[in-house]
Amino acid sequence: MTAITLNSINKRFGPVHVLKDISLQFDKGEFVVLVGPSGCGKSTLLRMIAGLEPVSSGDMIFGDTRVNDLEPRERDIAMVFQSYALYPHMNVERNLGFSLELRKRAAAEKKDRTSHAAGILGLDKLLDRFPKALSGGQRQRVAMGRAIVRDPQIFLFDEPLSNLDAALRIEMRIEIAKLHQRLGTTMVYVTHDQVEAMTLADRIVVMNAGQVEQVGTPLDLYSNPANLFVAGFLGSPKMNFVAHDDAALNLPSSLTNPSAQTYGIRPEHIKVTAPDDTAHLVGTIDVVERLGSDTIFYINHGATKPFVVRVPGIDRTAIGEKIGCQFQPEDLHLFDQNGQAISEHKNG
Amino acid sequence: MTMALPTSPGNGRGRPLKRFQWLVEPYLYLSPAIILIALVILVPLVVGVSYAFQAIDLLNPFETGWVGFANFEKLWADRLFWKALTNTFWWTLGSLFFQFFLGLGLALLLNKPFAGRGLVQGLVFLPWAVPAFLSGLNWAWLFNPIIGPIPHWLAALGIMEKPQNILANPELALWGPIVANVWFGIPFFAITLLAALQSIPRDLYEAAAIDGASVWQSFIKITVPFLAPTIAITVMLRTIWIANFADLIYIMTGGGPANSTNIISSYIFTTAFRRLDFAYASTLAIALLVLLLAYAMLILQMRKHLVKGI
Repeated sequence: MTAITLNSINKRFGPVHVLKDISLQFDKGEFVVLVGPSGCGKSTLLRMIAGLEPVSSGDMIFGDTRVNDLEPRERDIAMVFQSYALYPHMNVERNLGFSLELRKRAAAEKKDRTSHAAGILGLDKLLDRFPKALSGGQRQRVAMGRAIVRDPQIFLFDEPLSNLDAALRIEMRIEIAKLHQRLGTTMVYVTHDQVEAMTLADRIVVMNAGQVEQVGTPLDLYSNPANLFVAGFLGSPKMNFVAHDDAALNLPSSLTNPSAQTYGIRPEHIKVTAPDDTAHLVGTIDVVERLGSDTIFYINHGATKPFVVRVPGIDRTAIGEKIGCQFQPEDLHLFDQNGQAISEHKNG
Repeated sequence: MTMALPTSPGNGRGRPLKRFQWLVEPYLYLSPAIILIALVILVPLVVGVSYAFQAIDLLNPFETGWVGFANFEKLWADRLFWKALTNTFWWTLGSLFFQFFLGLGLALLLNKPFAGRGLVQGLVFLPWAVPAFLSGLNWAWLFNPIIGPIPHWLAALGIMEKPQNILANPELALWGPIVANVWFGIPFFAITLLAALQSIPRDLYEAAAIDGASVWQSFIKITVPFLAPTIAITVMLRTIWIANFADLIYIMTGGGPANSTNIISSYIFTTAFRRLDFAYASTLAIALLVLLLAYAMLILQMRKHLVKGI
């Protein structure tokens, strides 16, 4: 069943056209991540789903109900803000139960539901504290707890982890994933972090400049990016792009395509070989990053951008050495002059 | 083997002379400021308070000297003092109530974006910039049926039987200066409360809207708690200022007719500078000081409870 349907949604701030003809369908219980560079309109789209921003044109439908003109409180949603937006003059317990307080629910029910949510998130011992006495991670949990107590049809997350340090971010990411498994509620999550998108999403919506670039499962987007933008946005380190006329490129004719302008290959799909005729690309190592689990080479092959190679384990090849790179045909991505992927090559 | 210990700050504090120096030194540095404060605040305060226990009447220059609590006994029996105290209460409460609620309303309106908001914000501040003396005269004229429109409007609306000057009516005269004071004081509340409103994070309102709050609920549960500390401090300041603010009354009614509009501070002024009885004026001032101190302490205690978490 469909939880949210967006039908050619547009958003204009005065003369600025922020969102252009967005049409999407999110299934019930699905975890959808909206991802894109900052300023691409993903947060605006989320705020429109929440009802905090009016829709300029198009239909927004929850289930079978058109919600364009409904107030946020009539939409049965909960939202976790980037700033957490905890009420500083209320303790944790009142923050958690505020939605019930507003609905004038009985004290017993309030107590029940807040302690249930506090239990899920390990906030039991902090109920009397005020937000200013909490750490970043704890505030994040309270913000999530507030949403859980609300027990909504749809959970909205607006870059909830971006104010946390790296270690805590990973921890909370796992917690959000567990929360989704446990509650099974439809969740829409906005982030600019592609790792969060890849790890959390059932489906990812990649946005750029107010438009949807591609929608798909994380692995689908990783393996079959529809265009240069998606190919370059997902994956770390980024996919290498080499122009078809790059002198350092030495592809056998079986791998080339006359309409291909750009060849893309992910750093992790490259095999390091001797710099001889069998290599598909030859260059010298400029920089080496040894991470322990992986070694990353930045190879100078005559272009402005280095060619990045990631090999597992610790590789002792030194800076200044000349190496060759080999790719498997199925790992090679071909893009035409408009930056769109050439798919016949993959299928054929 | 003996070794010289490295000297560290505070070493030698054990020796009496050193210890004395260490204790006195900070006060030495502070002394210019302390002496200045003592000269301009403490000395006049003590001299002024001491007047209340003496007989200093310039119209009776030969009967001076210490009189103990005689002035306070006179105060207790003074019908005019009690009348002025009641007037002070209504003057302060009436002015404050309308200044605050109209100022809050104005601040809430100015907090919404609209075209020309900057200009309106500037205009709102204008009454505050007009000297009290001028606004007092203006309002006195406005209430005067011969040159002012207000009595004619009131009569036309049927509130008044015929155009009269309310400043000449002992029953209503106090409302004249109160109206002038409300006009004069709204900008103060509007500007301070607007500043406080603008410091409330917008996402709290968004979170509340999603949590299900109506406009009224988010006002009561978000706006008011955030404004409360500012409200406490501004109301306290304004109460003290208004209670002491005799200018408008003095200009518009001179305390009359028949002392019906005297508040304590205007009564102090007339006692000291019209009747030249400085001792009794000082006694009245002490009574007002004690009342306002008690009030300020009450409000500051309340404020401590209000600022929790913010």
